Amino acid sequence: MGGLFRWSSKWWPGLIPLVILWVIAAWTSTGPLESDLAARSAAALKDSVLDKGRIAVEGRDVTFAADAFSEQGRRDAVASVLAVPGVRLVNDETRLVPEAAPFVWSAERDVARVTLSGSSPLPASRSRLMEAARASLGGVEVVDQMNLARGAPKGFDSAALLLVDQVSKLKDGKITISDDKVSLSGMARDLGGREAIAAALKNLPEGYSVAANEIKAPPYIFQAYKDPVAVTLTLTGYVPDKNTHGTIVAAAGRKFFSEKVVDNLKVSVGAPSGFAGAVVPALGALSRLSTGTLVVSDREVKLAGDAFYDAAPGQIRNNLLKDFPQGWQVKADISVKPAAAPVDATVCQQLFSELLGKGTVRFETGRSTLDPDSAGLLDRLIETALRCPTANIEVEGHTDAVGDAAANQSLSEKRAQAVVDYLVKAGLPASRFTAVGFGSAQPVATNDTEEGKAQNRRIEFVVKE
Amino acid sequence: MVYLATFYWGWLLGSLLLGFAMGWIAVVHRGQGVSKRTARVLAFLVAALIGAALGRIVPGRPGYWLDLGLIMFALYLVGCSAGSWLRDRVLSGNAKGA
Repeated sequence: MGGLFRWSSKWWPGLIPLVILWVIAAWTSTGPLESDLAARSAAALKDSVLDKGRIAVEGRDVTFAADAFSEQGRRDAVASVLAVPGVRLVNDETRLVPEAAPFVWSAERDVARVTLSGSSPLPASRSRLMEAARASLGGVEVVDQMNLARGAPKGFDSAALLLVDQVSKLKDGKITISDDKVSLSGMARDLGGREAIAAALKNLPEGYSVAANEIKAPPYIFQAYKDPVAVTLTLTGYVPDKNTHGTIVAAAGRKFFSEKVVDNLKVSVGAPSGFAGAVVPALGALSRLSTGTLVVSDREVKLAGDAFYDAAPGQIRNNLLKDFPQGWQVKADISVKPAAAPVDATVCQQLFSELLGKGTVRFETGRSTLDPDSAGLLDRLIETALRCPTANIEVEGHTDAVGDAAANQSLSEKRAQAVVDYLVKAGLPASRFTAVGFGSAQPVATNDTEEGKAQNRRIEFVVKE
Repeated sequence: MVYLATFYWGWLLGSLLLGFAMGWIAVVHRGQGVSKRTARVLAFLVAALIGAALGRIVPGRPGYWLDLGLIMFALYLVGCSAGSWLRDRVLSGNAKGA
């Protein structure tokens, strides 16, 4: 050992090349070492949930800045960087993500885009919300204006995901979560959207409540258009259910005796109350127009078109006001179509027969009260009678053979008289009409079948020269 | 340290070989050695540097360079010791043989 001390005094010359070697080593190795440590530190933080993570390496010292979402997570992240082999020390510049109170998140939809804003608890839930929004909105642009914050109420993710799904049912509007209160405003995209959203809100996670739901439904529209050229009645828009659909189409079939009913109606919830009670009389009013449009929007009914004769617009308006359910508004814009050219008695008779061949004047069963469904046909008969002002007309009542012959005779007379009264009320001179009843004496078909009996129950117009 | 050793074993091996060569030469070197006083000052200096390195007083890159230098120096010393000792064994063996 003594020798070693003796020799060691002569080791110093080697220090000169050693220093040169050291300088070269330091010169070449610092850069690669730093980038290697940075890569290893980043890899060590791969599973840590952090925001705005930043790693800077100088020599073997790592400066680590990040926003953590919990104190434990923050400490674990620092420890995992420190545990990276080669790291000498960590300059800890981490902090906790600021806490939001109240914790507010919102999704807003306007014409062009959907904007998610406010606070989100974790980067993962933020990206999940964005993905969910993109998936449920199809091609609509989704803008992320969310920031990250602590203090989210329990179950925030599932609540927000549920609400993101509701945004797709909105035309425009805003959904906000403030702590555990949800508020909604805006306009639903489709009929029934408001109801669907209200139903979905029942699935909010426990603890969440709806503070305000001010989603409005779009107007409930029903339209009917009577086209005299194509001889069609086109129904479009919505009806509340299958039964009402059937009722309305059947009523249209009875009231529009010569028109083909084109049914483009769709079933949807969200109808105003008393829908069928308003639409059926409104269709009756439309049947009395030569050409016309009926638009029902929520509780507002607009009827526009041309009536057949001067007294009709007033009658139509009064009937509508009388028949309508409460809370409904009617706007009738009815003019009178120009009078058709006069024709001679023979043509008049032909026109009457044609009309009565297509439709039948109906009465209440066993009584002489005119069925309102026949108003359209009666108006056409009146228009025809006006075209031959000099002809005298016999209105004939016929019944089927069911029941007592004397009763049938009396009923047929009363029914013929009811028609004449109606014509007179429309402004035709009473002197031109005679009401005659034939009971079941002149059947046009067999009284053995229901069909035949229906044909025998009839009113005929006979022009007397 | 293990990390540094595996990362830059080339430089460290260089230091070791340099030390070995110096140690080999030192045994038969006739020049002036370092005086005891200077050796003590040097030893004190090295101890201070080791203290600074262990205490992690020097920050950032200079800190890394200090670590690197000390490790290289340590291996240099190991090389010197091994070289001198071996050379001594070789010389004394030859002397006996002669």
